[in-house]
Amino acid sequence: MLDWLKNINKEYPEFWKTYVSKFDKKSSRFVILSTETSGLNPDKDVILSIGSFAIIDNSIVIGDSFETVLLQYKFFHDNGLSNEFLVESKMKKLGEPDAIKLFIEFLGNSVLVGHHIDFDVEMINAALERLGCGRLKNEALDVDVMHRKLNDVNDKQFSLDELCATYKITKSDRNSSSEDAYKTALLFLKLKSRLGIK
Amino acid sequence: MNTIAEHIADFLKEYPPFNHLTFEELSEIAMSIRVVNLDKHKTLFQINDVLHDSFYVVASGVINLSVIADAEETLLNKCTEGDIFGLRPFFAKNNYMMTAKAREESIVYAIPIATFRPFVANNSEVLNFLLESFAVNTRNPKDKENLIGKLISDNVFYSDQQSEMQYFQSLSYNISPLKTTITAIVQEVAQLMTETLKNNVVICENNLPIGIVTDSDMRSKIATGRYPVTVSVDKIMSSPVITVVENVSLAEAQLLMLKHNVTHLCVTQDGTDKSDLKGIISEHDLIVAQANNPGVLIKEIKRSQNPKELKQIRERLTDLVQTSISKNIPLSHIFNIASEINLAIIKRSVELSILDLGSPPARFAWLSIGSQGRKEQLLLTDQDSILIFEDVSADKYRDVKDYFLKLGKRTTATLEKIGYELCPNGHMGSNMLWCKSLTDWTKQYDSWMNTPGENSNDLSSIFFDYEITFGEQRIEDAIGNVVFKNAKNNTLFFDFLGNDALRKNSPLTFFKNFIVEEEGTNKDKFDIKTRALMPLIDGARLFTLCFDIRGINNTFQRFKQLSITDPKHAEIYLSCAEAFLILSKFRTLEGLKNDNSGQFINLNELSKIEKEKLKNALAPMRELEELIKNKFQLTQFS
Repeated sequence: MLDWLKNINKEYPEFWKTYVSKFDKKSSRFVILSTETSGLNPDKDVILSIGSFAIIDNSIVIGDSFETVLLQYKFFHDNGLSNEFLVESKMKKLGEPDAIKLFIEFLGNSVLVGHHIDFDVEMINAALERLGCGRLKNEALDVDVMHRKLNDVNDKQFSLDELCATYKITKSDRNSSSEDAYKTALLFLKLKSRLGIK
Repeated sequence: MNTIAEHIADFLKEYPPFNHLTFEELSEIAMSIRVVNLDKHKTLFQINDVLHDSFYVVASGVINLSVIADAEETLLNKCTEGDIFGLRPFFAKNNYMMTAKAREESIVYAIPIATFRPFVANNSEVLNFLLESFAVNTRNPKDKENLIGKLISDNVFYSDQQSEMQYFQSLSYNISPLKTTITAIVQEVAQLMTETLKNNVVICENNLPIGIVTDSDMRSKIATGRYPVTVSVDKIMSSPVITVVENVSLAEAQLLMLKHNVTHLCVTQDGTDKSDLKGIISEHDLIVAQANNPGVLIKEIKRSQNPKELKQIRERLTDLVQTSISKNIPLSHIFNIASEINLAIIKRSVELSILDLGSPPARFAWLSIGSQGRKEQLLLTDQDSILIFEDVSADKYRDVKDYFLKLGKRTTATLEKIGYELCPNGHMGSNMLWCKSLTDWTKQYDSWMNTPGENSNDLSSIFFDYEITFGEQRIEDAIGNVVFKNAKNNTLFFDFLGNDALRKNSPLTFFKNFIVEEEGTNKDKFDIKTRALMPLIDGARLFTLCFDIRGINNTFQRFKQLSITDPKHAEIYLSCAEAFLILSKFRTLEGLKNDNSGQFINLNELSKIEKEKLKNALAPMRELEELIKNKFQLTQFS
């Protein structure tokens, strides 16, 4: 209730200030986000990887992307897990603070899009809190919600695979957050034009 | 570098011109790609649009390229997975000259010209491919084959300027001409020409052409007795030869032939007879270049040596059907032409099998049944056939049957390569059941017709539409006699066929709406084959058998003939004939649009007027049904 009072004189990190200042203008850029996490509890679990693409002008811009593996040494150590698979991955690796900072810079004031995006946003918010930042300010769209709205379904949720099957998006044999982000991006393009969102 | 860029690079490297680039280069290109999703019928760019800053690769789906001339849209090309299009910005500054529209929901990769240009400049193979793709202006599958890969034209005005364009296109001609030396004996040369099915042979010295011998030389100089067959070939050759350079245009070649009054031109390296022989252009090549005309197609079928050549010809038949329909040539006429060509292809396939297996040990007949037997095959549908061989003594029977089974297998395999799918029910001459002796077949028809229903599992009405494709006419006649003898006053048989014809599902609901498929991949589409065409086909067959009308297998002609034989109901028959043509046209157009058999019509794509037309064409069916019910008083099986 009185949280805002606690924060009123708090000094935020520099990158966060830049991020907040971007919201003076409205963006036409969409950022598709998919994260891989260690579990479903935003308080205890952590993000393991982030895959993200930008959509500008109804097309996915492959070059405008953000992809990283997060090195969560502390989490793995605390829970007694092996982090070998993270170390072995060929992808870019960053510690959580750097990864989140770079992602926030990549995201800017764009509209966030994802599959069950609320959860991803919660995970990012938890990570931001650890860095002493506020919560994400971006507008967020969920492809599952879009699909349900399009078909007037209220009583069930659809998994990413189900949606891909419905919209005939070919599955890939590889599985990563980038892969999911790309599929979500295609889904979003299809849903966007069907719903007539400009 | 990101994972998706790698996937895209993986995808691109399968297709020209990207296969000439390294994976690293492709990854770099992939990083700058934009992925665009196109809804069905969405236009990517259209004529006179300002050029985009990128060209496109189809990732999935189908993009139609078309031009509009005289307010008519003409399809230039269908681009499928891996095809590139929209190359215009590479080579020209003015606006697009064609329209690219998604035929179905598609995903395309937009590759920025600025990124790709350096790779073009540094890699001559890539440049050549793009130039060729940009310049090619023909849909002739033969050319496609020659140029390896997928070429997409981009700057052509197709329909009305086509005839003029053609004159300046380069010719495709025989690049491995038959050669012989000056000392060869005429008889040997003639033998060589016969074996290779060529009508000319070039006489060379050190690969320089010095003379030519054609069929007409053989006729005028040997067959007339002026020279014996044992003279050397230089006595009868025409010399010197008329030579041209490579890449001669159609117009030029035609002029030269007229000017020198010759039928063949020799292509040499520098265009004189003092350089190496490269190929030979015959009048035949000129004709082929000018049109996909049916006569030429049939002639080419007779000359083809392998399934691949036949496949190309079959593809050109599809083009022919498409242009014929767009020119409003009556469908009954197109049926005739297409069936003659199909017939020739099947015949040639049987011939090729015989060439491989050696001559058959007994006389036989290869009958096409089903749609080909009715001469109603416009699209590539599945193949149905039976094989009947004459009776042989018991001790030879095994070997003979063995041979014909092999023949059947080989032929159906060839046909499959050409593009006719195998019959899912196994109604083919390669099947043990449908490859047997005349006596066995007679028994088979006897049992089908006299005790229908008992073994009805393997009785398909398509066995009563047959047409001889290859072999002994008398065998077909014999089967015909059996069928019509058994049909006479055979109420049981007609009862069976009649019920079979009526069992098909009705096309309209009580409220006169189309009944569409409720599930499966063809959901919400109208099954025009089973719901509309089959009842008419079955009805026509039933009545022709009943009225003893022989030798007419075509549904349209059957109805026409019936209106003469049974004048009381002439009106019904004639409206059925008309309806059949209209329905077939719907099916064919749908099939051409989607490259399939056209069995399922997508009603959403039809205009209101077309829908009404389709509905009206379904009306005569009801009357035909009533007529069947009254005529045969169906009781036994219903």
